[in-house]
Amino acid sequence: MKRFRGYGALLIIVVIAATTLIYTVTAGNKPLLGLDLQGGVSVVLKPTGTVESDTLDQAISIIRQRIDSLGVAEPEITRQGDNILIQIPGVKDKDRAIALVGQTAELQFRPVLGTIPVTPPDTETTTTSTPVSSVTTIAGDATATTLAPADPTTTLESVTTTTEAANGGYTDQTCIDGVTEEQSNPSGQALLPQCEDGVLVATYAVGPVSLTGGAMDTARATLQNGQWTVNPTFKGGADGIGLFNGVAAQCFAKSQTCPSGQLAIVLDGRVLSAPTIQQASFQADQIEISGDFKEREAKDLATALKYGALPIELEQQQAQIVSATLGQDALHAGLIAGLVGLIAVSIYMMAFYRILGLFAVLKLAIEGALLWSIISWLGTNNGLALTLAGITGIIVSIGVSLDSNVVYYEHLKEDINNGRSIRSATDKSFVSAFSTIVKADVASLIGAGLLWWLTVGPVRGFAFYLGLSTMLDLLTSWAYMRPVVKFVTKSRWFGHSKLLGLPAERPQPIRGRNSAPVSAATEEANR
Amino acid sequence: MSVLGRLNRGETNINFVKWWKRGLVFSALLVIISVVSLSTRGLNLGIDFEGGVSWEVQAPGVSVDEARNSLEKVGEGAAKIQIVGTDILRVQGPEASLEHVAEVRQNLAELAETDVSNVSVSTVGASWGSDVTASAIRALIVFLIAILIYLTIRLELRMALAAILAVVHDVLISVGVYSVFQFEVTPGTVIAFLTILGYSIYDTIVVDDKIKENERLVGMTGRMTYTQMTSLSMNQVLLRSLNTSVVSLLPVLSLLIVGAFIMGAVTLEEFAVALTIGLTVGAYSSIFVAAPVLVFLKERQPKIRAIRERLEAQGISTTASPERLAEARTSAGTVALGSDPSAAKPKASGPTASGAIPPRPRKKTRKR
Repeated sequence: MKRFRGYGALLIIVVIAATTLIYTVTAGNKPLLGLDLQGGVSVVLKPTGTVESDTLDQAISIIRQRIDSLGVAEPEITRQGDNILIQIPGVKDKDRAIALVGQTAELQFRPVLGTIPVTPPDTETTTTSTPVSSVTTIAGDATATTLAPADPTTTLESVTTTTEAANGGYTDQTCIDGVTEEQSNPSGQALLPQCEDGVLVATYAVGPVSLTGGAMDTARATLQNGQWTVNPTFKGGADGIGLFNGVAAQCFAKSQTCPSGQLAIVLDGRVLSAPTIQQASFQADQIEISGDFKEREAKDLATALKYGALPIELEQQQAQIVSATLGQDALHAGLIAGLVGLIAVSIYMMAFYRILGLFAVLKLAIEGALLWSIISWLGTNNGLALTLAGITGIIVSIGVSLDSNVVYYEHLKEDINNGRSIRSATDKSFVSAFSTIVKADVASLIGAGLLWWLTVGPVRGFAFYLGLSTMLDLLTSWAYMRPVVKFVTKSRWFGHSKLLGLPAERPQPIRGRNSAPVSAATEEANR
Repeated sequence: MSVLGRLNRGETNINFVKWWKRGLVFSALLVIISVVSLSTRGLNLGIDFEGGVSWEVQAPGVSVDEARNSLEKVGEGAAKIQIVGTDILRVQGPEASLEHVAEVRQNLAELAETDVSNVSVSTVGASWGSDVTASAIRALIVFLIAILIYLTIRLELRMALAAILAVVHDVLISVGVYSVFQFEVTPGTVIAFLTILGYSIYDTIVVDDKIKENERLVGMTGRMTYTQMTSLSMNQVLLRSLNTSVVSLLPVLSLLIVGAFIMGAVTLEEFAVALTIGLTVGAYSSIFVAAPVLVFLKERQPKIRAIRERLEAQGISTTASPERLAEARTSAGTVALGSDPSAAKPKASGPTASGAIPPRPRKKTRKR
């Protein structure tokens, strides 16, 4: 029974390597090349000062919206600590891309002049599809009772009739493209879209910006009587609540400047919500935006308001424009250098260890097939790009992998020199050698893991691929190297020490005067 | 038997104690040079650390002077202009506005008679480099602590300390080479320095594992000191250590020679130079730094010292001369054969293959 141990693992790993490779080829998975290899734009942004995690996420989603407007295939935006890493492969207008992502988004409050719902207003229910919200003072406040909440739907209908052009020429595409600085026209009138999950739900005609996020202090979403509401808090004084009350009074009175009675909350050129003002005056921390909010909508709005209160200023840490030709040259050189290195090291291994060396090179082939499949899968499905640093990591790992073979083979040679038969040494040496390999590989894994966890930028890519190939080395050392060496040393075709690059057996030290029971080793050696 | 043949069989009888002394002097010298150079000359930091803008374009046949003349028109006459790789024109200047960066791009594209999209630009804020460096240094410190703990658990504290010292030695000398020759330090170089850590540890573990395996020889039948045992282990793992270094170095050398020098890929050069230096130093240090430091630490352990004193009192040679090693090897070979611990205690021998082999009663009977 013992003789067959390990062959199952060998079969499994060879089959896995072959099937994943075939799957990768047939599925058309290819490694996603990093910017430094295929050209494109890479920007690292860092917020100035300390920021809260959710407002940073808001900043990232704003950046994502803006990049989407560039119409790029696979932008990758990741957070590494406080840094935001943006990679836009193959973008045409590179300078514009860099300028666009770094701009700070501003939160604006603008009076609504009119609303154009997307679907024609002939059906009664259409207006309710637009999220309707209203601003009141928090319930329980003494002033709340004095104000009868107006019916939001009637407010909206009256506006609809006054608007002229359908949708103002905006479509769902506007949700992706956004509006230009010129279109948003902060000091005058503008048409702004309101979108939900990329679908245009309404277009608002708005007046000049009444106040910006600077007047805000913070905001939070709360659940009140089973209804999700948002509670913004304004800063005190004339620059805070004073400004807000100024426009609130106009809207409440439905004056010329705010005929709809609604105040639009605008972030980065998109209307988030346009609540109807229900009071002429508010206290800074007693404001409630209620409406038919779902939990997510309320929380999103609260985060946006919070972001608006303290807009994250992003400082460009690093920006790279990589030309496609230079990138391809680097890729080309890396591949050729890797190939030459592979050939050189294969020749060395085969010169030194003969047949065993050949099987060590085949181990590289199995690892290579698995690595290629994993990289391709990650590239296709997770957008993980292979950078030049990653390629270097892989080339370096050729050495790491063969080191395991050297450790095992040298152990084998030593045991045979010490008088073991080749067969018994094969098993015995593997135990000690594998223990060394595990120790050394785990040390490498600790290093790779820490590098991945603690560093930013290109170092991470390198650490990832080094760690991945180290894990593959552990796997193949156990599942491939052990059974293969066992098979080779037992085989009649290869079972010659010269061919194996092993020293001749020296069965003598076990003979002698001692009367120990005849051991398995002696038995084999005497055969 | 030829030297190579003996090396191949792990049967060299090199007196490593003698070489360790020379090695430590050599290492101390290199470390001093590195530290002095680092404190006086410092490092030649690339724009990734200092902040600035770097443009690169493939411009065959364009000389530095031509480039400077052309760039004067856009106010970059004072920029640092180099030809890197075979025909890549690299221009580096201080931080600038987006408009200016685009203007220089245009100028370079015209100069190289190519499309503007073929000009690469890298803009780096001044704090980015310090962020990268700070995170690398933090990673380095955490790595050293983690490895110290790991090796203490898997091997022992003294081996862990010796290994860490060897790693610090490797990194200091590698960085020192960059300082002495004023090679430009880029993020790629930092990555390479961090890789050196892993390599150095790998090599040291291979050596330490062998020492650990031989450890029970120390004082067994009162014949060997720790120093002699380590020297013997070194002889046994010499080829293993050399071969692991060679197979690691070959791909990296290929990166350097084929990728960087022949094909002119600048980014590959950044990795390859540092890796080549680091690998060489790492292979050297596991034999000439980690081992003697380990011996130094171990010989101060009371138990180990007692053995040495007992041997000296018995008049047994405690040097690691070739004769003594050859003698020790004979007994070591037998013990190493029964490499599970029970083999050291003949009474505990069981029916297993290894356990059944008691230590050889006599020495020097083996025919060579």
